[in-house]
Amino acid sequence: MTNQPPNTDTMPAQTDTLLRYRPWRGTPHGPLFATLAMARVSLRLLLRRRLMWGLFALGLLVFFFFFYAQYLMVWIETQLRTETVRFAGVPVTIDNLTRFLKRLALDGSVHTFGNFIWFQGYVLVIALALAGSVLVGNDFYYGSLPFYLAKPIGRWHYILGKCLAIGGLMTLLVTFPAILLWIEAGLLYDWKSYYFDNFDLLVGIVGYSLVLLVTLSLLVVATAVWLRRTVPLVLVWMGVFVYPQLLSTLLVDGLNFPDEWRLIDLWNNLYLCGLWCLQADPATIRPPGQPEFWQAGLVVAGVCAASLLYLRRRVQAVEIVT
Amino acid sequence: MPPADTSLAANAPSGAEGARRAPLPSPTAAPPPTPDPPLLLFEQVSKWYGTVLALNQVTLELTGGITGLVGANGAGKSTLLRMANGQLKPTLGRVTIRGLDAWDWRARRRVGYCPDLDAFYEDLSGRQFVWTLARLCGYTRAEATERTERVLERVGMRERANRTLRGYSKGMRQRIKLAQALLHDPELLILDEPLSGIDPIGRQELLELFQQLASQGKCLLISSHELEALEKLTNHVAIMARGRIAAVGTLRQIRDLLEDYPLSVRIDVDQPRELARAVLALAEVQAVSLASGDTPGLVVQARHPKRFFQAFGRLVVEQHVEVHRVEPLDESAHAILGYLLGGSGRT
Repeated sequence: MTNQPPNTDTMPAQTDTLLRYRPWRGTPHGPLFATLAMARVSLRLLLRRRLMWGLFALGLLVFFFFFYAQYLMVWIETQLRTETVRFAGVPVTIDNLTRFLKRLALDGSVHTFGNFIWFQGYVLVIALALAGSVLVGNDFYYGSLPFYLAKPIGRWHYILGKCLAIGGLMTLLVTFPAILLWIEAGLLYDWKSYYFDNFDLLVGIVGYSLVLLVTLSLLVVATAVWLRRTVPLVLVWMGVFVYPQLLSTLLVDGLNFPDEWRLIDLWNNLYLCGLWCLQADPATIRPPGQPEFWQAGLVVAGVCAASLLYLRRRVQAVEIVT
Repeated sequence: MPPADTSLAANAPSGAEGARRAPLPSPTAAPPPTPDPPLLLFEQVSKWYGTVLALNQVTLELTGGITGLVGANGAGKSTLLRMANGQLKPTLGRVTIRGLDAWDWRARRRVGYCPDLDAFYEDLSGRQFVWTLARLCGYTRAEATERTERVLERVGMRERANRTLRGYSKGMRQRIKLAQALLHDPELLILDEPLSGIDPIGRQELLELFQQLASQGKCLLISSHELEALEKLTNHVAIMARGRIAAVGTLRQIRDLLEDYPLSVRIDVDQPRELARAVLALAEVQAVSLASGDTPGLVVQARHPKRFFQAFGRLVVEQHVEVHRVEPLDESAHAILGYLLGGSGRT
């Protein structure tokens, strides 16, 4: 077939006239720009789910607990240091009253942020288990992938866009509130010295968030590409984050197995990597008897590599066959 | 009807082979202008799904106009369209868009694809969906908004674009799919069953849109089972059967190549018996029968249609026959498909 079109070099793009486009002389952005658009629409889709708003509310509760508890600790220590309060008619010293709060280390230290991200991470993991099918699984299951891949983006750009969406969710749930806690801690103490002396904590918070972002986003995308539907995804997610934690606690704390058995708990490994970012002293980590930071880092890197290898295999073979 | 001049390029030698045969230019001579690579080129493309051969050594070249892609279910049409758009990778051979591998994302800047699926994000409105895909094309926010409004207007969806996709009818979904394919003003439009589910008025509007696009230099590759609609749009078709391009060209060209099937022509004249006697003397004529119906006439079955019409023309002039009407009876896409694919030609 050789019916030649007119020489478009010398003619205006007449389809522009047909479609009544105004003349546009710009150059379309590259596919990396498109990944941002993809992340935005994915987040928007996610936030249309009421369940997600429920999980956000839960995350907000955790944040407010840490926020006000941190304030309360400072207030109690400055106002009631030497006093006792009567609790159910029984005089209780302040130290006894705040013992629970002290376990959370609500003093703007390394463990304040480590603990916050640990607890907030539970909400995040639940959100991601449910989000996997919305973000990625449905594209494969219902066949909407051709609409994305018919546009000038590559397969890896698609993956990157989805990972960015997960990153956005994580920033909203974990990173941003943790930074707010750091700012609050500075305001509660001597802000000039706190912000300067503890700037590395801010870097550590960002580092911890990045570790979570890279690991969890790759894991979500990989499992969603594999399983596609919500229920299997949640089951696998539980298999990765809940059961190994119970098992490792039983083995190490209950049956006195070596500390390295905690490495089967991915969430604990992420926590250890986060504490390394926050430059925590290994001796202060609870529960005691933890593996080395490098061992945890190795396991996390292994999970990332496995996810990437799986995605590489799938992405190279992503062909829209219906 | 857009121009559909066609030399049959299926199974033609590749450009690379031609390039090898070209003489070397002298050092002082100005380099000859390099012709643009074909808009869409399939070179010896095969595709297996497991043990099933979906496409079998397909070679095809498109440079412009409207080409209809027809064939029975399972003939390989959708596979071919998806390969043209880089959604599928050939097992053997190469698919290029203006010289770029169709699998490369850069090639898709030149291609608009309207898939046969309509699996959308049902929670989005039509406007949001098209706008999002405009952003995926790399347009700025303002440009994406502008283009979204224009394409929605062009496909007649501007007023209804704020409804969620969940509430759209089949025809509205088709229009939204078409809108997103037009967003980036592509050179090549690949449309898989674009008329399915569209009402007659809407269908006419879309056919006019396709014709306008083609007349302005765009290349359209349209797969459709609706041969009547396709015939209104173009007489240039690629016919697929069992994973191969069985024929490509205008319906007339393909018909002429089917020498095993004599062409049936109805000729309305006042004295059909006298003409039948004269026509039977022509070498190309195989059989003649008197036509049924109110109008007197005869039906001639002739081999080598071109030679038959030349001889028949001479006969009419020499014998002063008054011919009221000449109508080929089996030049339609249906009939040709029937001959090529066997059976009724139904797709």
